[in-house]
Amino acid sequence: MTGFREGSLRRWLGGAAVSAALLASTSASAEWFNSDKVFLTGGVVTTDGSGGGGITPWATISGYGTRDGINGGLHYTWVYLPDYTLNSYGVTVGFFDRLELSYTNSVLPTGGTFDTVGLAVSALGGAGTGIEPWNTTIKMDVFGAKLRLFGDAVYNSHSLIPQVAIGGFYKKNRNAALLETLQAADDTDWEAYVSATKIFFPVSTLINVTARYTSANQIGLTGFGGPDGNDKEVRLEGSIAYLLNKQFAIGGEYQQHGDNLDNKSVKLGALDLTGLTGLLGGLGNSLTQLEESDWYDLFFAYAPSKNFSMTFAYAMLGNITLTPDQSGFYLSLHATF
Amino acid sequence: MTQTSKSSKAKRGLSLLAGLGLALAASQPALAQTGKTYAFPGIPDNSVEKFGGPQGVHNWVESLFYYIMLDNRINWIFSEFGNVERQIMLNTQLEQMVLGGNVEYQGASMAAAHADLGITMGQFNAVVEAAYSACERVHTPYHTCNQLIAALAPFTFDIVTR
Ligand code: HEM
Repeated sequence: MTGFREGSLRRWLGGAAVSAALLASTSASAEWFNSDKVFLTGGVVTTDGSGGGGITPWATISGYGTRDGINGGLHYTWVYLPDYTLNSYGVTVGFFDRLELSYTNSVLPTGGTFDTVGLAVSALGGAGTGIEPWNTTIKMDVFGAKLRLFGDAVYNSHSLIPQVAIGGFYKKNRNAALLETLQAADDTDWEAYVSATKIFFPVSTLINVTARYTSANQIGLTGFGGPDGNDKEVRLEGSIAYLLNKQFAIGGEYQQHGDNLDNKSVKLGALDLTGLTGLLGGLGNSLTQLEESDWYDLFFAYAPSKNFSMTFAYAMLGNITLTPDQSGFYLSLHATF
Repeated sequence: MTQTSKSSKAKRGLSLLAGLGLALAASQPALAQTGKTYAFPGIPDNSVEKFGGPQGVHNWVESLFYYIMLDNRINWIFSEFGNVERQIMLNTQLEQMVLGGNVEYQGASMAAAHADLGITMGQFNAVVEAAYSACERVHTPYHTCNQLIAALAPFTFDIVTR
């Protein structure tokens, strides 16, 4: 592939401050490019756009780049729930198996109850709620960064020390009016997390544990915090994946959620309807937000080649704002270079 | 996996003497490459058997080198610095030993054997890919193959030097 001299140049680059690499990344030559990780060890991409499972970030750096190069990917994720459809697409770049940067755009058109509420609100002359019948859409930009601190998730099989990374997201929700209606405190906020990931080869199983410091409601799709303020807390997440063979993995995930908007009414204009929902008859229940559920999923990942993987999942997201029982299909396509 | 690197130079010289290699390497001081690898939660005792016994492990090593020598990313390293016949023989011993087989490994420590080669993570991963291909070639199931991957994985830190 490359001679020893080139090798030492790449080593020098790898050792140099990653920021230097970032500055020069526009002129990244083929020599910096690297796709030499072992099959599937690059992981897939989460709904937040970071390398990981389906919803939980892992300590692995996305893509197939080793410590000697840069690699990246594009992804598209589609979640089809009874009342919502999440479309998210984005890009991840991994630098020297050390730093990962990501950007994801999520678009969440809603249906069902939001249509009903939208109709009622229009009928009542409400405006500026962010809920329009037939046409309520939530858009969110998510910027992510992750730094691998220590450990090797793949090759450190003789010790229990996992690969550990810290990371953060900056999330900007673009439907501020709707978030106000839902009584979220903020439409823009950051989250931080620490993840520990390890493959146990004798049992062909990957385990990841993540603690996330956040105040997000539904990962930020319904904002951050609630009427009582915007206080972050530590929430736990985990993934377990069983490697069926070198191209297939099955597994499950768990993500703890908060309770900022539990049992809170929606707020129409300046009017908080907590005391009024009874007057709206059958609509009353529709206007009180349900208790936010923790998320679960069961997934199946398939990588037909190093350049492409597909993740199919059954996502069990429970109560989402006004609507119960949001379980449905999840598909994520991830192309790497 | 602590090794003395002082024997590295001597080792390197020895390995170049291909014909005498085995006899001389066997007389080297005690090496860390002794016994089964510890890997959480433990490599099953019947792993060599599952690989098809000593002959099965040998077949796997043969096909490992078949795939290595077909991989243009790494075959040149072996042509230039290696001795495939000797490496097949020594790897057959080593792989049985790390899987828990009652076999003595007579070669150099992993640190000593690879110290001067400047092996990268990508080159190491290419050998791992060859290892999985070799398992498929000899019909060793993936989950059995992973016992060997678990047993060899810790050598990464001795072998990858850049
Ligand atoms: C876990 C993975 C590996 C194992 C178990 C392994 C095992 C061995 C063994 C047993 C020897 C013979 C030592 C002796 O002559 O006494 C050897 C030598 C050698 N290995 Fe590896 N090896 C591994 C990875 C690699 C990689 C990734 C490369 C290069 C890409 C490589 C290249 C070589 C070369 C060129 C020699 C011959 C060195 C010499 O004779 O001076 N090995 N290896």
